[in-house]
Amino acid sequence: MISDANLGLIMYAIALMNIGAIYAILSLGLNLQWGVAGLFNAGIAGFFAVGAYTSAILTAPDSPDFLGGFELPIPLGWVGAMIVSGALALVIGAATIRLRSDYLAIGTIGIAEILRLFLKNEEWLTNGVRGITTVPRPFQFDQPLLSELSFLGMTLTLLLIAYVAIERSVNSPWGRMMRAIRDNEVAAAAMGKHVERRRLEAFVLGSMLMGLGGALMSQYFRFIGPEATEPFQITFLVWVMLIAGGAGNNRGAILGAFLIWAIWSMTELVTRQLPPDWAVRAGYLRIFLVGLLLQVVLQRFARGLLPERIRQRIRP
Amino acid sequence: MLIDFINNYLMNGIVLGCIYALGAIGITLLFGILRFSHFAHGDMMTLGAYLGLAGVWITGQPVWIVLPIAMAATAGVAVGIDRAFYHPLRNAPTIVAVIASFGVALMIRSAIQVIFGVEIRSYARGFERPILLFDAVRILPRHVWIIGLTVVLVVGLQLFLKMTRLGKAMRAVSDNPSLARVTGINTRAVVIATWLIGGALAAAGGVFLGLDTQLDTNLGWNLVLPMFAAAVLGGIGQPVGAVLGGLVVGIAEELATYPFFGGQALLSPAYKSAVAFAILILMLIIRPTGILKGRVF
Amino acid sequence: MSLLLEARELVGGYGGTDILNGVSLSLSREEIVVIVGPNGAGKSTAMKALFGLVTVRSGTVWLDGLDVTNAAPETLVKRGMAYVPQEANVFTTMTVEENLDMGAYTRRSGIQAAKDRVYTLLPALKAKRRQPAGELSGGQRQMVAIGRALMVDPKLLMLDEPSAGLSPKVLDEILDAILAINRSGVGVLMVEQNAKAALSMAHRGYVLQGGKNRFEGPGPALLANREIAELFLGG
Ligand SMILES: Nc1ncnc2c1ncn2[C@@H]1O[C@H](COP(=O)(O)OP(=O)(O)OP(=O)(O)O)[C@@H](O)[C@H]1O
Ligand SMILES: [Mg+2]
Repeated sequence: MISDANLGLIMYAIALMNIGAIYAILSLGLNLQWGVAGLFNAGIAGFFAVGAYTSAILTAPDSPDFLGGFELPIPLGWVGAMIVSGALALVIGAATIRLRSDYLAIGTIGIAEILRLFLKNEEWLTNGVRGITTVPRPFQFDQPLLSELSFLGMTLTLLLIAYVAIERSVNSPWGRMMRAIRDNEVAAAAMGKHVERRRLEAFVLGSMLMGLGGALMSQYFRFIGPEATEPFQITFLVWVMLIAGGAGNNRGAILGAFLIWAIWSMTELVTRQLPPDWAVRAGYLRIFLVGLLLQVVLQRFARGLLPERIRQRIRP
Repeated sequence: MLIDFINNYLMNGIVLGCIYALGAIGITLLFGILRFSHFAHGDMMTLGAYLGLAGVWITGQPVWIVLPIAMAATAGVAVGIDRAFYHPLRNAPTIVAVIASFGVALMIRSAIQVIFGVEIRSYARGFERPILLFDAVRILPRHVWIIGLTVVLVVGLQLFLKMTRLGKAMRAVSDNPSLARVTGINTRAVVIATWLIGGALAAAGGVFLGLDTQLDTNLGWNLVLPMFAAAVLGGIGQPVGAVLGGLVVGIAEELATYPFFGGQALLSPAYKSAVAFAILILMLIIRPTGILKGRVF
Repeated sequence: MSLLLEARELVGGYGGTDILNGVSLSLSREEIVVIVGPNGAGKSTAMKALFGLVTVRSGTVWLDGLDVTNAAPETLVKRGMAYVPQEANVFTTMTVEENLDMGAYTRRSGIQAAKDRVYTLLPALKAKRRQPAGELSGGQRQMVAIGRALMVDPKLLMLDEPSAGLSPKVLDEILDAILAINRSGVGVLMVEQNAKAALSMAHRGYVLQGGKNRFEGPGPALLANREIAELFLGG
């Protein structure tokens, strides 16, 4: 039989994989936007949170604390999450996508910030700062190990589906055109409206994956609260994951997600040993180090661990 | 009624507008000269505010006295940050520097959190008796200071940009970087000057906000959106536009909570920042060049 | 005759492929030298290579006998070389006078004298000196661009298509101004589409094609060459 200590270790590893897989879905979404289409999304957390809340509200049991009681099946929660995140992306993208990427960044930051206010203040809908604590989680068994494992099976399956779908679209004429647009803004501009549409499609699809990631994360933790929109946990980590893994390469996006998540959570094991006051500070030090890691990657390994395979590029 | 409007809403809006303006000037100058959106600018303001706090702790002097030191120190840090994190990326697409600036924002903030902790702090501030104007308008002395010093800084900057060789060179680089190079303008000096000015003004804005409210480590990040709105509204690359934009956004945010119709606030105060966002999106859609015909990318 | 500028067998381009495949030219202090050639021949690129804006992979540039291959524009300006690009060659948001001030950025003294000299050579500018350059007509802008370049008292003035998009009358004014500048002791190297007008006033000319020298000789002689006329000059 497995000893308790070993069981703990296995559970830890599976949890790591579970969250890593959800981050990998987010990272794939960002890769579609940034790596493939060159669109700068600085508000990943916004799309994530919208997805998380949507699926939570759609699937949670009735409660006086927030809008709920629909109790829809979990897959419908995913679909709802993707639809609402995608719709949000459509609106913000339509307004800013034709401008330089910086403006899209500002626009997406804005969306994330406003959502933060919204989720905190609209208590009737979201239970305010307390968040929704009754998010149903699929595959609950008596044995925690089994629950964790089956959840992992589910996230990995979804990740695989997302990966295959994106790989295929990236290698289709659609994907080739996206990269041509990304690599040659001048020629892209000459193509006009057509280009804006393609970019908008990439932006919406990427955001839908982020919504799905939000839905899965809320189900995994059975909880979603407004802290999800804080820029660090989601937006920033996902950026670091994608850049470190290799923007433009879907496998890089996935590898980066698992790797950075593993580093991030294992350093937490270290800081947890510290006395409480120090542990708080050490937590911020960890964030500092992730920021520094990003700078090192940008300056020294700009193409990431698994660089984009060089395809034919058009140069001005 | 009108007096209440002026005392409780307009005045706050102007003060907030001054703070936004000080940050937006840096954003607009950096965008004009280095061609990237500096998303760490808000956190640079936080840094200025906390350096001011450290100055108050160390010297025991009021914050007005240590303000110049905080400005100088922040300016120095800004140049250092450029050297370490942005300069090495100058040959990459500018968007890479934008990504880096997110990282820098987090690094500044977390460094402050490590050093100062996350408790809410304040500069020691005694009770202030409002100054009464025309028997009705009340102004807090600190508001007079904030507005007055902002005017001084903005006028000083404007004189520098119009009258000095380096200031004109900054405008030239902002106007046409390749021609500036051909002309023999020393771009490195211009870049350093831009960071010094941006950093110093950001620190002033941060200290003013910390003085008017409180210091917390998210102080600056919360300003990023309204400051970018101000910079876009005023026209990217236009410092005067940034000041106007800052004032418009600041005043609009405060006035949006005024009960214009009946007793209810027009907009719940919780949603103040949505006003900045609405202005930003509206400008990007209808007139991305801003009020003063800035650059559009 | 001492050469002010000499370039031998320049090869270079933008990143990947070479645009210049061996361009040579020279110019003495008293001369106006014109470069002509079809669109895309590499005329602008050659000028940028001389001015350190395009990397020269092989070949050499001498200025006054000094090797200045791949020197930074800033250095070249200080050495007496000034360059007016083909496009976007004024600071549009700055006044005419501020444009001239920027031209003088690398010098510490004699700025007022240089400005007076520019106003004498290009009198049209004086009246407009407080106006933003972006509000001027095409011809006036070109004058501002030339005036800006003259602010360093250059030995060599390089002009890339100073007449682009100008009416014949304005073209004449610009060419007259260039003649006057040359007579005041400045060597002039210019690229011109308006080959007839330019070659007839030039001392010598070069015809570039495909990034290489094709013909060279005194201006009038090139004009008289039938082959050149048919190939490049549109009759
Ligand atoms: N910045 C650049 N990057 C890459 N290629 C360039 C660049 N500028 C010019 N080229 C290429 O170099 C070649 C020569 O261009 P150049 O501008 O030197 O020609 P030109 O003789 O000045 O033509 P024109 O008469 O149209 O001004 C062209 O094929 C052009 O496409
Ligand atoms: Mg040319």
